[in-house]
Amino acid sequence: MPAAESLFWVAAVTIVIWAGVFFYCLGLARRVRRLEEGE
Amino acid sequence: MTETKRPSWWPWLLFVWMVVVIWAAFYYAPSARGFKGESARIVFFHVPQAWVAVLAFCVNLVFSIRYLRRRDALDDARAAAAARLGLVFAVLATVTGSLFARVMWNHFWNWDPREVSIAILLLIYFAYFALREAVADEERRGALSASYAVLAFVTMPFLIFVVPRIYWSLHPDTIINTRGSIDMESRMLHVLIGSLVGFTGLFFWLYALDVRLARLRQKHQQRGEV
Repeated sequence: MPAAESLFWVAAVTIVIWAGVFFYCLGLARRVRRLEEGE
Repeated sequence: MTETKRPSWWPWLLFVWMVVVIWAAFYYAPSARGFKGESARIVFFHVPQAWVAVLAFCVNLVFSIRYLRRRDALDDARAAAAARLGLVFAVLATVTGSLFARVMWNHFWNWDPREVSIAILLLIYFAYFALREAVADEERRGALSASYAVLAFVTMPFLIFVVPRIYWSLHPDTIINTRGSIDMESRMLHVLIGSLVGFTGLFFWLYALDVRLARLRQKHQQRGEV
């Protein structure tokens, strides 16, 4: 795999994983807060 | 009356921190010698994911032992939350490892001792959740899964640290090598440490949210029983 292509895949997988987990956390935090406020 | 938690600022600090780490992984850290293309840069994400998986399984062990001693349902929920996150991060470490394998050795999966040992570890912790699903009674489920978690943890250091060092492996040297030192260029080490901090923060955030959810679920269950 050429350097540019491998760099693209490493960057793509890294960013997708990080952004995916981070925004999942944000959504979950909002949901938990709403549930706690409803208590 | 319960205290209302306001949205906090630190998740955004974590976000900015990791944006800087990702930028540094591609622009600040130099290319590693002896690797195909830019595949070695995956180390800045693969190692922290594996570290978080180990940390999560340690947390799982601590709360499993605590459950066996105190029989508090919240300890069982804490242990399950940690195991769930350990499994997620172990899968992520496997995915990033497979990407590295594809670049370096042309195949996503090579039946390398390290790949096989992580696959076995994943199956062991998948079985933990299969066990939890199979037992309906809460107390019995807690006791069985806590006992199982202790046994599962015993296999973890063996599968992650011992097996890959006994057999010849395609996997590059670990960060802390067999001589007990770290042979890594200082800029690479800075990025790796930054990423370790970021992923650890992400783990504790997710873990705290999962425990808060478990607490709410418990409250609802208690109300339902009254």
